[in-house]
Amino acid sequence: MIMEHIQFIAPEISLLCFALLIVLLDLFITQKRVLPVLSVIGAIVAATFIIVIWNTPPVGLFDKMISIDPFGLFFKLLILAATVLVILASHNYVLKFNKFQGEYYALLMLSAVGLMLLVSAINLITIYVALELSSISLYALVSFLKDKKSSEAGLKYLILGGVASAILLYGMAFIFGLTGNTCLTCIAEYVRGMPFKDLQEVPALMIGLVLIIAGFGFKIASVPFQMWVPDVYEGAPTTITAYLSVASKAAGFGVIARVLMTVFGLPVWLHNDWAMIIAVLAAITMTVGNLVAIVQTNIKRLFGYSSIAQAGYMMVGLAAMGLTMGTKENVTGGLIFFLLSYTLTNLGAFIAIIAISNKINSDEIEDYNGMIKRSPLLALGLTICLISLAGLPPTAGLIAKIYIFSGAVNMGLAWLVVIAVINSVISAYYYFKIAKAMWLGTPVTEEKVDASWPEWLALAACVVGVLALGVVPGLFMNLTTAAVRIFGI
Amino acid sequence: MLAQYGYVGILLICAIGFTVIIPLIPKILMVMGLIPTKKNPTKEGQYECGMQTIGKTWVQYNFRYYFFAVLFVLFDMLTIFLYPWAVNVTGLGVGGLIAVGIFLAILIIGYLYAWRKGALQWK
Amino acid sequence: MPEITYSITFYLMAAIAVAAALGVIILRDVFRAALSLILLFMTVAGIYLLLHADFLAIVQILIYVGAISVLIIVAIMLTRDARQGQPLGKIKWVAGIVALALIGVIAWGVINTAFYLSSTPPLEETVKPLGNLLFGNPGYMLTSEIAAVLLLSAILGAIAVIREK
Repeated sequence: MIMEHIQFIAPEISLLCFALLIVLLDLFITQKRVLPVLSVIGAIVAATFIIVIWNTPPVGLFDKMISIDPFGLFFKLLILAATVLVILASHNYVLKFNKFQGEYYALLMLSAVGLMLLVSAINLITIYVALELSSISLYALVSFLKDKKSSEAGLKYLILGGVASAILLYGMAFIFGLTGNTCLTCIAEYVRGMPFKDLQEVPALMIGLVLIIAGFGFKIASVPFQMWVPDVYEGAPTTITAYLSVASKAAGFGVIARVLMTVFGLPVWLHNDWAMIIAVLAAITMTVGNLVAIVQTNIKRLFGYSSIAQAGYMMVGLAAMGLTMGTKENVTGGLIFFLLSYTLTNLGAFIAIIAISNKINSDEIEDYNGMIKRSPLLALGLTICLISLAGLPPTAGLIAKIYIFSGAVNMGLAWLVVIAVINSVISAYYYFKIAKAMWLGTPVTEEKVDASWPEWLALAACVVGVLALGVVPGLFMNLTTAAVRIFGI
Repeated sequence: MLAQYGYVGILLICAIGFTVIIPLIPKILMVMGLIPTKKNPTKEGQYECGMQTIGKTWVQYNFRYYFFAVLFVLFDMLTIFLYPWAVNVTGLGVGGLIAVGIFLAILIIGYLYAWRKGALQWK
Repeated sequence: MPEITYSITFYLMAAIAVAAALGVIILRDVFRAALSLILLFMTVAGIYLLLHADFLAIVQILIYVGAISVLIIVAIMLTRDARQGQPLGKIKWVAGIVALALIGVIAWGVINTAFYLSSTPPLEETVKPLGNLLFGNPGYMLTSEIAAVLLLSAILGAIAVIREK
């Protein structure tokens, strides 16, 4: 039985083997150039395995520990894409770590393994262990620079992350205590069989639900668990900030969607309850993120708040997804499409920021003045990503927002969409503040800013992706609807 | 099973009682007036405990101890996985052996890493 | 064990555990707080024993009392003058109210729920079945291997983070 199952986790195993190989090679060779090449190869091999098993019917492995289904596989591809792009973007950045480059790549890949297991986990125990695997690697990566800000960021992330894990575990303990099961489908069966009509009749389920949303809320940086974001994003190495803002967030949404949809999907009163919690949190999250982002002067902090706001939009999709359970509507692709678009856009923006900050050694927006004269291509790339983040044509951001908001309107969340649209308008202000500085500001020096070829490659991939999603979204819609079909909608 | 651990509980109670009562005996005797209470500096001083300390007794330890403490925790974790397996080696058979082999191989890479990076060395 | 002894032992340990936990946050001296934490770990181990989870109790003592506490104490000894914790200030009241509200909600939830009760009697021997679950088939083999990777990443991360610049 084991042997038959192992082929399905070949992506994780191959990525893990490459990570181990990097750890070992790093000890015995002095030529560190091989390490990024190996890690990119590892990610590509893993992605190949995923494509090979893409068409297998959904199956639960290792006694319902993890499942292989299009939903998980989609997120795995997204995580691997983010990992490859971050590794490419780290090309110059890792030189700061001189002797410790091997650990950087290995930890990045181990955290990717954790995230990949997390999005396919269908057992509370696997979810927890995978979550810890990714988090522990990320705690170390956040404090990798070893300067004052980075250490502080690492410590904050560690302590708040630990508290979030504890809250999540407590929630899981309630669910386990109530149902006596840790596998998600078994819990769902128990919950569906309960003779109750209201969440108040089963307090343990309610507390468990709230605590689990709180625990994952930390991972996706939803209000009120967003306090760590600005400091950690500012202090962490910029490449890790990029990784945190996309891969970790995407996996967080993957696992929260899976847990909420599978365990708390039916009966109807249950998903109405949590969809309302998520909807209210979404409204607060995007408003807080956008309003605070306006006054930021540090670009990494600004992107921290911007990513909080974007998480708010994604939660609109999550709430709509919850409400569709048991109806004939199909609006669930919105969240997946938004995540795809957000990943490419935010990574593109961060790659440009990494390339620029490598040269000018500053993250202040005023130092971006006149960047169009110093490096037209980087400025152009960053601008396209900013347009997409603001949600304007002809980019992915617009399609993603239309997709997610129309779904929400269909499910009767019009009030939330009104708030979201107002928020999008607010967000355009600060995205264009950066663009304005780059296009209209006067540069301090005329010194050219250039990037290395891996950085160009990664940026080009992101920008092309953003434009392709914006111009021909139809190509990807099928992918996203296929990914959510597993929830029986 | 619980009854057996009850003996541990009784031992624990005895131990706590002993450590609390013994230091209290002189005090009790003093209150009862059975022993004299004449204080002088020599009597109050330390007895066969070395010199009086100069300055603060709180010294900052070398941070290298921390490497050992961290690695100790990590390899201590190993025992809790290996012990249940070791108790039931035959029952788990070849499959269990392979599983533990993979488990150990992954951790030995970590150990090798710590070794080669000089974390086990006192520089 | 008779019902009454069981209850007395449980409530005694629970009371000590709560007192020790309060000690951890109230004591200003960091070192004493750490010792209080050790007492907490010990009583939790005792509660595990009462729940017939003897291996878990031993693990609790081995890992938490034996290793984690050592780590905490070494970390305290590494500092120069951090023996006194920061006073909490005004946030103390807010935190206290939030904590009390949380306790209230959770207590309400625990009291008002019919939890799932297993009908199987507790196992006499726990280590062998645990071994079967950890590395056997069917069991949590995959999770155990992920735990190994987790420990590896902790080793890598710890050494990379406490490196000298």
